[in-house]
Amino acid sequence: MRNRKLLPSLLCVCLLWLAGCSLSPLARNTAAFSSAASLVVENTQNAYRAAVRLNEKAQASLLVARFDTPQPMDPHSIRPLIDEKGLKARSDVLDGLRTYAQTIADLSSGVSSPKLDEAAAACGSNLKSLGDALAASTPIGINVTSTEANAASTALKALGDFLVSRQVKSSVPRVIRDMDPNIDALSQLLSNDLEILRDQAGRDYEQLLAQQDGFIRHAGTSLSAGERRAEIERLPRILANKKATDDMLADLQSSIQKLAVTHHALAVAATSKDSASLQARIADLRASAEGLATFYESLSASSK
Amino acid sequence: MPPKKISAKKTSSPAQSPVAAATPPAPPAPALPPAFTNPDIVDAYKALYDILGRAYWDASDLNAKDTIQGARDHIYEILTDLNRARLEANTALFLALKSKIDDNNKALDDIKEKINSITKNISTASSVIAAIAKVLSIAPVLL
Repeated sequence: MRNRKLLPSLLCVCLLWLAGCSLSPLARNTAAFSSAASLVVENTQNAYRAAVRLNEKAQASLLVARFDTPQPMDPHSIRPLIDEKGLKARSDVLDGLRTYAQTIADLSSGVSSPKLDEAAAACGSNLKSLGDALAASTPIGINVTSTEANAASTALKALGDFLVSRQVKSSVPRVIRDMDPNIDALSQLLSNDLEILRDQAGRDYEQLLAQQDGFIRHAGTSLSAGERRAEIERLPRILANKKATDDMLADLQSSIQKLAVTHHALAVAATSKDSASLQARIADLRASAEGLATFYESLSASSK
Repeated sequence: MPPKKISAKKTSSPAQSPVAAATPPAPPAPALPPAFTNPDIVDAYKALYDILGRAYWDASDLNAKDTIQGARDHIYEILTDLNRARLEANTALFLALKSKIDDNNKALDDIKEKINSITKNISTASSVIAAIAKVLSIAPVLL
């Protein structure tokens, strides 16, 4: 009788140990990677939007400058730096990356466990009902106590966790390894895009600066002293925004390169127990992405 | 002043044809204008834009400034069209990469499905036990 009570408990302990110990490093690493990757994705999407808006402003400024000339600019000729299709393609890929990072984190941490808990609890409760029914309808005298039913539920939950963990351990690292070249290709592609955006943003600001200067000089005395002063004061602000935007895009390029290196370390760590260097890389990536997010807020506030 | 005007003249003539070449009538993914696949030419245009920029700020006469900036605007448009074309070329690469990332996410969905089937198996076992218990509870009435 004593053995009968001890057995489920021992089984539970054994299965919980099997399920818990093997899962945690992968779960911890993928969760940290997902959180950092999500920040990088958000920063990159913001950068595209900011670059397109800036270019629109530069083109509008050119439209104004040419308005009273013999060859005025046709407003229809204003085109976005990246069209809708291009923005959607980039946004879809970045969303795909975010989904990937979130899914590997969810799978590794066993996000479906509430369903498993429910099924295991129902099984224990039904087992008790079965015992009661057997006791009432047969002379066998089987009696399943509440403690034993709960132990059965816990054992089933542990067994489920173990099976899930085995499934995750055998398949998720393979998916991470398969994804690694895609992350590398994505990182290079985004970096190339950002190089173009930096080049373009630099000239967009230069155009805004020269058009603003031309506006002040052509306006001459039609501006009041106060208005003139305010317009002239905008010149150094344009230059400061130019530098800040370039710094931000350069930092984002660096974050994206770190993302690829971190994912590569994640792919290696998924099959190895040594993840110390990965933890350092994830911390570095997260710090870099968080710095950028704060920077975006300050930049958008300063441009108002 | 005369040297600045010469610079402006030099830029206004090459500015015309590459602009037309860089903006073909809305093809799905326009290729870069052949002349601009040469990085030396692109770098030369960028250098010219910067030199004209310095000339603009050095000039003290408003007419000279306007002439220089006019030429600079043309180069700006050429280089913007070039960047637009480069970004559009990258769009095709993003679309190709998207299908690969989707494939990977599909593999993750399959794993999710396998995990769900583990839960489902435990639920099925629970249902079987419940069904047996129900039969046993009504068996004495039937017998």
